Amino acid sequence: MRYKETKKNKLLYDLLKNHGVKIYEDLDNGVFPKFLIPSRSTRNIIYDRKLRQYVLGNSASIRNSKNISQLRSFTQLTWLAFFANRLIKEKKSSTLRDIYYSSQAFSIDFEDQPESDNIIVDLESVLSRPREDLHIFPEERSSVFGDLVIEYTVPGYEGKRTNLSDHPDGYLIGPSLSSAELIETSADLVIAIEKGGLFTRFVEEQVDKKFKSIIIDTAGQAPRSTRYLLRRLHEELNLPVVILTDGDVYGEHIAMVIKSGSANAAHLRELTVPDAKWIGVWASDIEKYKLPTIPMTESDIKRIHDLKKDPRYQQGIWKNELDVFLKIKRKAELEAFSKYGLTNITDKYLPQKLEMAKSL
Amino acid sequence: MSFEKEPFNQISPSEFFYRNRDLAGFSNPTRSIYTSIRELVENSLDACDQNGILPNIFINITSVNQQQSDPKYYILTVSDNGPGVDPKHVPLAFGTVLYGSKFGLKQARGMFGLGATMAILYGQITTNTPVHVNSSIDGRNQHEYEMLLDIQKNKPIIIKHVVNKTKKKGLAISICLEGDYSKAGSKIRDYIYQTSLITPYASIKFHDPKGNKYKYDKITKSIPRPPTITKPHPYGIDVETLRRLISETSYKIPNLNKNILEKINKELKMHNDDHRNSNDGKIMKAIKKRWSYLSTQTKIILAIMSCLKLNFDQAMQIKVDDIDIMNNTLTYLDYNKSKSFTIKLDRSNFYYKYLANEVKGDSLSIFLTKQFQRVGRHTAEKFAEFAQFKPEKRIMMMTNQELVHLSDSLQKFTDFLSPDPSCLAPLGENLLRQGIKKFFNPDFIFVIQRKASAYSGFPFIVELGVAYGGSIKGTKLYRFANRIPLLYDESSDVVFKIINDIDWNRYKIKNDSPLIIVSHICSTRIPYKTVGKENVADRNEIERELKLALQFLARKLSSYMSKKGKAAMEKKRVDLYFTYIPLISKFCTELSNNLQEPNYKKIFNEIN
Repeated sequence: MRYKETKKNKLLYDLLKNHGVKIYEDLDNGVFPKFLIPSRSTRNIIYDRKLRQYVLGNSASIRNSKNISQLRSFTQLTWLAFFANRLIKEKKSSTLRDIYYSSQAFSIDFEDQPESDNIIVDLESVLSRPREDLHIFPEERSSVFGDLVIEYTVPGYEGKRTNLSDHPDGYLIGPSLSSAELIETSADLVIAIEKGGLFTRFVEEQVDKKFKSIIIDTAGQAPRSTRYLLRRLHEELNLPVVILTDGDVYGEHIAMVIKSGSANAAHLRELTVPDAKWIGVWASDIEKYKLPTIPMTESDIKRIHDLKKDPRYQQGIWKNELDVFLKIKRKAELEAFSKYGLTNITDKYLPQKLEMAKSL
Repeated sequence: MSFEKEPFNQISPSEFFYRNRDLAGFSNPTRSIYTSIRELVENSLDACDQNGILPNIFINITSVNQQQSDPKYYILTVSDNGPGVDPKHVPLAFGTVLYGSKFGLKQARGMFGLGATMAILYGQITTNTPVHVNSSIDGRNQHEYEMLLDIQKNKPIIIKHVVNKTKKKGLAISICLEGDYSKAGSKIRDYIYQTSLITPYASIKFHDPKGNKYKYDKITKSIPRPPTITKPHPYGIDVETLRRLISETSYKIPNLNKNILEKINKELKMHNDDHRNSNDGKIMKAIKKRWSYLSTQTKIILAIMSCLKLNFDQAMQIKVDDIDIMNNTLTYLDYNKSKSFTIKLDRSNFYYKYLANEVKGDSLSIFLTKQFQRVGRHTAEKFAEFAQFKPEKRIMMMTNQELVHLSDSLQKFTDFLSPDPSCLAPLGENLLRQGIKKFFNPDFIFVIQRKASAYSGFPFIVELGVAYGGSIKGTKLYRFANRIPLLYDESSDVVFKIINDIDWNRYKIKNDSPLIIVSHICSTRIPYKTVGKENVADRNEIERELKLALQFLARKLSSYMSKKGKAAMEKKRVDLYFTYIPLISKFCTELSNNLQEPNYKKIFNEIN
């Protein structure tokens, strides 16, 4: 297990080094170095049915240091590779904002954070690796709770183990947790839930024990580190993943992103859980469970029409539920179950949906 | 209403100017000291220009009483190295109003040479002190005059006249006048500064009453060609001028005297004695034989003598007053009898015919070709047709109405060639460029002299210079007319208007760029808006020339700017490589686990 994490780092390390060597040799030979960056324009984002996620097509652009308008961003990109290399070597992590500020110590000026964020995505594309692998994390954090033993690999904690059910507020899915080895678990299931409030309720109601599950709060759209953890739980520990969201079009899409990624991350792999299942709240549940509803806004409806063009929404529950949303033009939040008692969702709804999920 | 007789008194020109001195720029102590300097300096420069002398002008102002506050008495002295004024003309030139040498048609700074006398007059009426004039025309003797003006009689009163030894030619005038230097100082300094800009071949020194010394050395030794005096152009003519031209140029009935008699003898190849020894018939024979070789004057005198049947002695005793062609009569005054006689003449007489022909004056077409510039026979005949005159119409036979019609038609006829610019003295592109270069030390400089053009019969030339960058700060316009700086009232000047009309953005020139524009308009008559000579009126023809000149310069400047822009871009581009490539080198060295940086210097060869 530990070998896996180290091997991944080694591969990345070599990848970065190879790029460094290429640039070094070009300069030494009096040639302007360049990067080949897969194009992330919408025209180059294709849905791969086999991988069940969005991937980038074959078109790529060249970032040439000879081109005066690309020289600056080329330098920024080289710097970022250099900086990520240091992060990996020194086993340190950095936030997106850190990157923006760190650049200034090396006379690399990013105009603003969006510019540095953009260069980070460039590097992800070049390497086909998520920034988290490069020890670069966003500010957003989500949490995990359940019987899962991990072993840290971050400096100072190497070899130290923790059970993620030791703290009732759950554990932040941060850099150290992301890079930790997953040792063992008694759980049979991962439940990803959209909202922190419900996550706390699930912990209080001991959903982890009742349903032998690891509970993860995605805090809205799941951050990459969370998606990465979900994938590892599924891949490394063979745990099925189910997703519980609000009963609206955005909830449905949160589930879809966990399952098959986002267009924004089409340049990355290993962030998806293609077998994950969205178990609710479905549009059809709203009528079935007689949930209190809120009328949809115009932007909700527009979002439905947008998603109906997405190849992943062309069949099954994904298509059906979109149609029902469009028909009823109303939505319901997870908290709506509280109308029937605070534990209604864990006592009634969840078991029924988990049961149903087996047939999905 | 009573019809009491108003006394009408003639006033002398001096008195007229004394009463209207604000017209000529002597309204208050501030303006007066400034105008006095201007008039004297411009006189000196004009004199030097016309004689091809590189001017050295020294201006000195001292206060009579240092402690007093302004306005107070100042002694203003302007001296030059010009040709000087003939000592015998000095009292008239500086002691009367309207005695000047500038009535011909050519470009000069001053129009009539009035200004210096006005300054003297002003000094006299404010301080009651005589003017000092030192003049040397030979570089050996210097005549020193001290004199006052008798304003009512318009006559000089010479107080002192001595002759001193000197080594230098030139004129120095010293006036004591009331002025306000503390207020006029900046204007005077501007004036001197700008004068030396537009007169780069002159050295000008100025010592002000506060002890400050200013010195502008000549930056070139080439003097522009002096202007020549030209005949008038038809477009610039009115009825009165036309009348003067006719009377000035038509025949005059000469009175026979000894001098003329000598000439006649020469032409006839006779001696006085021959007159007595020969009979009249013999003389007449000789006259007839040589007739076509004789001068007009001789012919007229001989014709009169023949008609009146007089010999030379008798002819010297009369004065012909009038020859009436309509009635075939001649009226003359007999000095001996002190009486006028009118005699009927024989129309068929050969000599009378000749006389009558002379009296009628030139034909219209000959008059036009003789008296106006750039009018040939062909043009004159075309004009006559246009004005519905016969080309052979005699000019002296024209009625008043016909003269008015002639004058009007001269303005309306469009086929006259444009006026002759040889009476103009532009500075020339070279001198203008040198002046601008020395004064502003710019990065870019371009000047243009437009070809001569004309408005209402007055020729003019526009010269324009543009300077950019270098030591220039901000945008400034320097205006000149006939080499005089125009200092005030900029916003109502035609040049200012043209500059503002141009869309400078089109030429990539931003507001408040380091830009100097120098404009120089030369003309035999600058159309000033006001008597103050501070702004030029917007005549269409002048506007057009200014606009074309400015657009030309703006295009030059704009292409300079874009070249400069490209060079700056190129430099920036190269700078970027020098900034970023070493960084890339540094990063990839660590990234590739190398210890030494790659030899990236090779890459820079490719950039350049």
